[in-house]
Amino acid sequence: MNLIVVLPLGLLGVGILFQLILGKVLSVKWKGWFAFLFGILALASTLTMLPAIIHGQKLDQTLFIWDQNVAVQYHVDGLSLIFALMATGIGSAILLYCINYMAHEPEGTTRFYVLLLTFIAGLVNLVFSANLILVYLSWEIIGLCSYFLVGFWYKEEKAAAGAKKVLVMTHIPGYGLLAGILLIYHSTGTFVWTDPSVSAAFTTGIFVLMLVAAMAKSVMFPLHTWIPEAMNAPTPVSALLHSACYVKAGVYLIARMYSFAHWPHAWNTLVITLGCLTILVGALFALAQTDMKRLLAYSTISQLGYIITGLGLGTNLGIAAGLFYCLSHGLFKGTLFLCAGAVQHSTGTRDMRKLGGLASRMPWTARIWLIAAAAIVGVPLTNGFVAKWLLLDAALNANQMIVVIVAWLVSVITAVYMLKATVSVFYGDMPEWLQKAKVHDAEPSMLAGMGILGSLCLVFGLAPQLLFKALVAPAADALGFHSELTLTWLGLQTSSAGIQVTLGAAIVLVAALLGWLVFSLVRSKKTTEPVSGVFTGGDPLPAQSTMNATDFTVLAENNLAIAYKITDPDRVYVPLWNGIKGLAAGIDKAIRPVSDNYPLWATIALAVVVFIAVWLL
Amino acid sequence: MNSILMQTVTSLNGAAWDWIFCGAFLLLLIFIGLYARAIPQGKGLWWGLSALLGVLVIAGMAVGEGILRIVLLDTAAFVAVALVWNGNSAKAKAAAKTYLILMIVAIGFLAAGQYLAGENGTAPAFPLDKIAAGLLIIGFSLKLALIPFYFWLPNLAEHSKPMTTVLVVSVVDIAAFSELAFMRSSAPWLFTDYAVLWLIVALLSMFGGALGALAQKNIKRMLAFSTIDDMGYLVLGTLAGSVYGLNGAMLAALSHAFCKFLLFGAVGVVENKLGHDLTLDDHGIAAQFHVSAVVFIAGALGMIGVPPLFGFIGRWRLYLSGLEYGGVALVLTMAAATALALLYYVRVIHRVWLGKPSQEVAKVNEPALASFVLIALTVILLVVGLFPGWLTSLIG
Repeated sequence: MNLIVVLPLGLLGVGILFQLILGKVLSVKWKGWFAFLFGILALASTLTMLPAIIHGQKLDQTLFIWDQNVAVQYHVDGLSLIFALMATGIGSAILLYCINYMAHEPEGTTRFYVLLLTFIAGLVNLVFSANLILVYLSWEIIGLCSYFLVGFWYKEEKAAAGAKKVLVMTHIPGYGLLAGILLIYHSTGTFVWTDPSVSAAFTTGIFVLMLVAAMAKSVMFPLHTWIPEAMNAPTPVSALLHSACYVKAGVYLIARMYSFAHWPHAWNTLVITLGCLTILVGALFALAQTDMKRLLAYSTISQLGYIITGLGLGTNLGIAAGLFYCLSHGLFKGTLFLCAGAVQHSTGTRDMRKLGGLASRMPWTARIWLIAAAAIVGVPLTNGFVAKWLLLDAALNANQMIVVIVAWLVSVITAVYMLKATVSVFYGDMPEWLQKAKVHDAEPSMLAGMGILGSLCLVFGLAPQLLFKALVAPAADALGFHSELTLTWLGLQTSSAGIQVTLGAAIVLVAALLGWLVFSLVRSKKTTEPVSGVFTGGDPLPAQSTMNATDFTVLAENNLAIAYKITDPDRVYVPLWNGIKGLAAGIDKAIRPVSDNYPLWATIALAVVVFIAVWLL
Repeated sequence: MNSILMQTVTSLNGAAWDWIFCGAFLLLLIFIGLYARAIPQGKGLWWGLSALLGVLVIAGMAVGEGILRIVLLDTAAFVAVALVWNGNSAKAKAAAKTYLILMIVAIGFLAAGQYLAGENGTAPAFPLDKIAAGLLIIGFSLKLALIPFYFWLPNLAEHSKPMTTVLVVSVVDIAAFSELAFMRSSAPWLFTDYAVLWLIVALLSMFGGALGALAQKNIKRMLAFSTIDDMGYLVLGTLAGSVYGLNGAMLAALSHAFCKFLLFGAVGVVENKLGHDLTLDDHGIAAQFHVSAVVFIAGALGMIGVPPLFGFIGRWRLYLSGLEYGGVALVLTMAAATALALLYYVRVIHRVWLGKPSQEVAKVNEPALASFVLIALTVILLVVGLFPGWLTSLIG
């Protein structure tokens, strides 16, 4: 008996009931504290499984018959645990942040906390379930949670529209998962993916069906366009959606498919191709954004591309890189969203064109943002650096030069758009309206929530081996990939191609330092012209000509207009919808006069047609 | 290969299903009664006719298969006509007239068809088999409002009181559907020999119903087309004839009955307060009608089989039966039809219920009893959807 498996779900379930029962009597802050308490208890109970998982055990538990011959059956291995820890761990930090963030919300806070806890429980149930039909059930539960949470401010047109897009664009591809599951059941007579017969039944068709479902959840091109529209949700929702609970469900499914069957080379190629396209498209669109959260949303698309590409490589190192990236992304993206939320909470806007110089008023938020921004860019000492390093190493090892080039190129683009966001919001001159506004740093619990996640970006950047040994290696093992990688401090590897990469990087670093030294020695004098405090990526600009978010955006839009046009799938979806609507209206217009005025005659005529058909059969 | 999957049902667990339907109809009638106490649907005659209809349908299900059941359920259909007529408006009377004429045709065709088909379970000799098949297919299509024989339903739904429509689509129609499902066991030739026709009718209903729903502005009329759409799935499950197909169709029929109560019930609460028909021109009414909005969304999601609502329990079986019957192509076709259904429901939810209200409005006090009934049923559908084992264990 491994009832410990049920504990996180049980605690979250109690938390949900607690909110439902006491929601009317508790203050908003107390609701937040209790939600956080149950979140942290769920995290603690999930952590209790860690020792067994590190030692290579798998925890199985069957509870009861759910529906006829379908049992509630759990199977927890290294992969399940990574995702469960992300959901409960990052989820708890976000719940802590919520306490003050939601404190002034006039209505709907019980609904908010119930949905948030259900969201976390849904992901835990999804990754723990051995029964595929219950995987689908959980898949749709988190889908509904995201729908209702994105539409939390349902009286606002934009929030409601965003929620609609989330539901339509993720639910419909979800039928791919259901169809795949039913095909497996049809062939094997079991829904349990740990059953050995599943492997033989897992065909390319099923793989593609499930991949489509995963693509929509994990915002992979061309099913990614829902996520920027989902940004009108409360920021903790965006953070949870992007970092831990929603987009990661698709990543889990793709990774889990390695447990179902051995992948032929074509599957890897397909996933890598989609991953690379997603990396590029997300980054290109991120460049053009002026809304802080939309920029982060597009960056999620790009970063998810990195993760999926790593998994798609299908090598020991590739899987390890993908999983490490996944965890790292959860931490730095969660932090970035919470920081963006703090800025919006304090200033009332997330439009970067209206912001600037906030580092002086929100110093702690700025510092935490800087850490997370450094991590997403891949600056050494952060977990993002280790993740990118591992991925490039894996791609080099697998001789996937296209992946190396795309990953490297987009790393540069990532640096550009993150720099743009950082400078536009936190540095440069503060606009006049902000100087007059009562802008202050985030509340302590909000700072604590984002601070915990931000500091973990540094911890796992300095000592990635902690994460690697405890979580990544057991997860890769669970998928049948036995990484012999030896990861040391700062993520420097002493095995695989990493050693060459390390040496190469060291040479580049030394060359750069030497270049700077030579430049310092030979330059004649410093410029005397007044310059702006904004780094432009090149020659300094005069003070009156600062580079801001709009300039970057206009630059990107002007130069990449064709790329935006080609890679925007909404240009296909909108005519499709209009076509369906037009067809429906046309049919109704043609039939309604007959059905309203001559129902009997029409029935008789149609009956004759049916009789003729029967006769001919 | 799982042998049970490939097994064609020779006899549905009829007794169990009869009692499940009896219980479901009784529960539904109680809910309809409570709702009608809160939001009047008619005067004494309406109550009398509704009670009579309920008694006839429950008795029809309780007596088991046979001529008595057919008589009781057909009588219930005529009582339903009287209920629609009782709506008093000229348009309601016109709808009742169409309903009456087409029910007479349907019942006549069914009676003649069943007489010709006989009771031994095999097809009669040529040409009686062709005549019987034609009569039965048309008869059932008319009674269940399948495309292309759906003409009576949209106007009935638009011009009747919400609970009258619920009595028609959730009680009379579903009872009639159970007759069709039992016929799958008692006269299998009707389905195996004419499978193509049934398949065409099912697919036409699924896609035609969905497209029809997309074209409507009036919400009750849209819900009528969604009934047509849903009936297509039920017919498809029945046609597949496997354990999963038939049980899936029966479970989906139950879900349909309850979800339609939620949908029409929510619309009824709003129309009662606003004093006009709910259409796509209304915006953001969730700001005024919190409970009705929640209930409508739950009903819509239940109708398209989104877990964890009860609708999923029937739906996944129907998809599985589609897979058994027509392979991946059919199951993806079913999914495409469901996607269309999602689109029309989402359009109504986001144009009528959510979003910014047309003008600044205060929250409306929805009738407490109606709200209680609607919320109670929503919770029941959620709980049964999360823990369906106790129910599905009854059907074996």
